[in-house]
Formats: sequence, structure tokens, C-alpha cells
Amino acid sequence: MTVKQRAPISLKNVGVCYNMRLSRKRGLRKAIAKGARLDAQGKFWALRGITLEVQEGEILGVVGANGAGKSTLLATLAGILTPDAGSIAVYGSIATLLQLGAGFDDELNAEENILLVGAFLGIPGSVMKKKIPAILEFADIGDFSRSEVRTYSSGMRARLGFAVATAVNPDVLLVDEVLSTGDATFREKARRRILGLMKHARAVVYVTHDLESAKEICNRAIEMEDGKIIADGPARKIITAYERKMRTRGGPHASAASPKRTQSTPLRRRARKG
Amino acid sequence: MASSSHRLTVGRPALGPVGTIRETIKSVVQRRRLLLYLTIARVRKDGGNTIIGNFWLILDPALQLVIYYFLVGIVFNRPQPDFPLFLFAAILPWRWFTTALSSATESIRARNKVMRQIAFPQIVLPLSAIAASGTGFLFGLIPLFSLYLAYTDRLTIWVTALPLVAAVQVLWTLPFAILLSAISVFVRDIGNFLRHALRLLFYVSPALFSYERIEGILGPNPPAHLLLDLNPMAHILTAYRNILYEGRAADWGVLLIVALASIPFTIVSIYLFRRMAPSFVKVL
Repeated sequence: MTVKQRAPISLKNVGVCYNMRLSRKRGLRKAIAKGARLDAQGKFWALRGITLEVQEGEILGVVGANGAGKSTLLATLAGILTPDAGSIAVYGSIATLLQLGAGFDDELNAEENILLVGAFLGIPGSVMKKKIPAILEFADIGDFSRSEVRTYSSGMRARLGFAVATAVNPDVLLVDEVLSTGDATFREKARRRILGLMKHARAVVYVTHDLESAKEICNRAIEMEDGKIIADGPARKIITAYERKMRTRGGPHASAASPKRTQSTPLRRRARKG
Repeated sequence: MASSSHRLTVGRPALGPVGTIRETIKSVVQRRRLLLYLTIARVRKDGGNTIIGNFWLILDPALQLVIYYFLVGIVFNRPQPDFPLFLFAAILPWRWFTTALSSATESIRARNKVMRQIAFPQIVLPLSAIAASGTGFLFGLIPLFSLYLAYTDRLTIWVTALPLVAAVQVLWTLPFAILLSAISVFVRDIGNFLRHALRLLFYVSPALFSYERIEGILGPNPPAHLLLDLNPMAHILTAYRNILYEGRAADWGVLLIVALASIPFTIVSIYLFRRMAPSFVKVL
């Protein structure tokens, strides 16, 4: 096998498009009203012409304004979204730290949820079963491990979600801003765990608005705008240039021209803070 | 320490229809644990938050029997001999069919959060809906077999053929459940429509009445009769009634044809599901 020689992640001319005619069709009347505003094809390209290779040992930071396509890129790498153009290959086991606690079922207790999420991820049950004690200890949910997840506080949920998602060492790690989990102690513990995973992984893609930490952690960075990669190089150089650009522009409004998607509003608000 | 490699490539599977179906079946077999946990979660949800909990799995079909007994046996005054058993032999599997389809229809939309976070074969979602309602069917067998205490002479060796008939029913539930789950992502109205369609199908199926009686009503009307002949559930329910109520062999020839006829439908439904699946996350 020549697995070792291949780049863990390689994308060739990848495009992902949303057919606005299909999505969010909440009612016939709305669909007609919306359809009138779209172009002939009714398509919105969230990613376009992305060609990228992430080499062994690279920790790639992804920066850019909201709506630039960062999260879409991660979802595509994770296999959640299938590209509508181009080709993509990700070799090895993949772990995604996108949103914590996704996949939990309210009616199951902590142990069962660990097995459920493990099954969603495709991790063999025998492997997951061995990890249960370590996960419960890391999540620090104490006596609640036997009660259903619906009785958990949001903090406990997030801690358990984090512990499950980071339980196995992946070859390819995809991270989307999850360091803000729980209280200060847990955040520190989580940060250490993520850094540990990053060290072990063959390739990491890290999406963040925390530019300072990205400068520290990453050894390469790309800047995205309107679904395209507009800069690629050493992390420090790219991120510093991006910071300078944002300051002169007075805020990340680069995506204002692209068609609105429902989730873009809260994200944009979050970006202004950072 | 390192987990085994779960997936080598991500991306559009450049497979033909045959490859797509083979890959889908393989992925479901690989994720059989996921299927199991999802089924457990769903069964628990149905019984959850109630005082008697999963006892409803037994009580629910029993109460339904009482209502139909009252409606058909007393209001319409059309009882058959040993009427409760006659009714239950058909109502119970029908219940499985309808709950499977209606929960399969919701299954993908209900899990939209995890679909946005983790890549997994989404087809396990409608499959777990079938399995969970199948669990309800199994628990419903408890009141069904309790009825044999009153009608001991109806209990024959043919009861052991139950798994066979149930298997044919699963074969026919599959294509509908798979297709409905996918279509309802794009057209949410399908769930509302389904309720009425299932009601209609219920009345043209030999559930409340015998096959002969339905045939007698629809007989003079050829298109309606065709509807009865083409309805796989009509044959399946009759088979259930043969083995559970009449205590004789089902028409195995007909049942075999019904079973074989489901296969092309299932194959097409899996293929269509896979064609629609890449759009789920974008549309939800």
C-alpha cells in the first residue's frame, strides 16, 4: 500500500452548490416569491474551484469572513456534503469537531449515547465500549452517567459531546471553533486535548475566528472569500495579512454581496465581536 | 490507540446503479450497531414520559382492538365467529405497516442535526423506523396470543409460519419507507397526505372484513377490484388471517409472488434514495 505517500487530503477543483429552488421550501407562495429573485439556474455556489492539498503533518488554518465557505469546506471534507463539481479524497479515519453533542438521543443515558455516537461515526462497538470509562471521566458528569441525556444541563451535554468526539485519535482532524465549551477549567482541559489530537493527526483543518490562537497552532493557512481560496501560505503571514485587511475594511462584510442563507445572520453577528 | 480506517475516500461514489445498491447494503451491514441503537432509542421514546412506560406497547394495540370490535362487531353488526381474533390477526400487522411508514416519513427530518455533523449512511434512519415499529408488533403478539386462551381450538401449528409472513411484510414496507423518508425531505406535505392514503388503503384491505367480503363489495367494479389485487397488503393480511385465525396454510404461491414482486421496488427505492441523499443536508 502506498497510503503513506499520498497527501491525506486533496481536492481538485471542488465546487458545492445549493439549489435555492429546492432548499427551504416552506410554502408554495414563498417558493414563488423567492424563485423570482434567483438567476436562471437558481443556484448558489458556496464553494467554487477549490484546489487544495494538505500534506502530512500540516495544520491548516482557514480564515475568512462569514459566508466565505469555511464551514462548507469542512462539511465537504467530512463527507457530509458531496461536491457538485471536482473531486475530493480524504485518506484515513476522519474526526469532525463541528458542533458538540450532535447525534445524542435524549432518551438514552450517557453510556448508550457514547455507543450511539460511536456507531454514527462508524467506530467499532468493541473499541467504543473500552473507551466509555475514559470518556465519562473526561466529561466529568459524575452520577448522571446513568440518567437520560435529556436531564443534562447544556454544559454537561457539551462536555460529554466533546469527550465523545475526541475519544479516538483520527488521521484527519476537522475542527470548527469548539474551544468555547464549558467553564474555564474544562476549556483548558479541552484545549490540551485538541492540541494533543492535532499532534497525532496526519492532517488538521482548523476553522476559527480566533486569529491569535490560529497563528500559534497552525503551520499553514488559507484565506477564503466568496467560496474561493484567495490566499495560501505560512500561517503567520496569511493571518497577519488578513488581520490588516479586516482592519482597513472595518469589519468582515466581504460576503454581503452573496445571496443570503438563513444561517448567515447569527454567524455574522458572532464575527463582529471577534 | 489509533482507530481503524473507516472510510478511504469521501465523495460522490462514481458507481452505477448496481454498485450504488451494493455499496448501500454493505454500508448498512457495517452500521448494524447504529441501526440497533437508533431502534432502542425510538422504542424508548414511544414509551418514554408516560406513567406506565413501555407497557403501552401492549396496551395500545389491545385498546385499538376494543375500538374496532365495538365499531364493526356492534355498530355495524358484522361479526365473524370468534371476532376478536379475526380482527386482531389483521389489525396488528396493519398497525405495524402504518406506524413504520409514518415514522419513516419523519425519520430523516427528525435527525437533521446529526446529519449536518457526521457523515453516515442515512438510509439506516428509515430502516430503524421499520425495526422500531416491528418491536411494537412483537409486543402486540402478547395480547394476540392471550386471545388464544379464549379460542384454544384456533391455535394450530400454522402459527409458526408467522415469521415467514412477517418477512414478506418487511419486504413490502422497505420500498415505501425508504422512498417516503427521502421525498418528505423535499416535500413536507407528504406526511399529511400519507395519513389519508393509509386510511383509504386500510378500507380496501381485508383488515376489518374478510377478503371475500371486500371482494364481494368491489367485485362488480373492475378498477376497484384491480386495486384490491394489486394491493400487496391485501394478500399479506389474508395470509396472516389464514395462519392465525383460520388455522390453515396460507396461499404460499401467492405469497411467494408478492415477495418476489417487492424486490424491484426495493431496488429502485434504494437507488432513488441514494440519488436524493446528497441533497438532504443542503435542503434540511
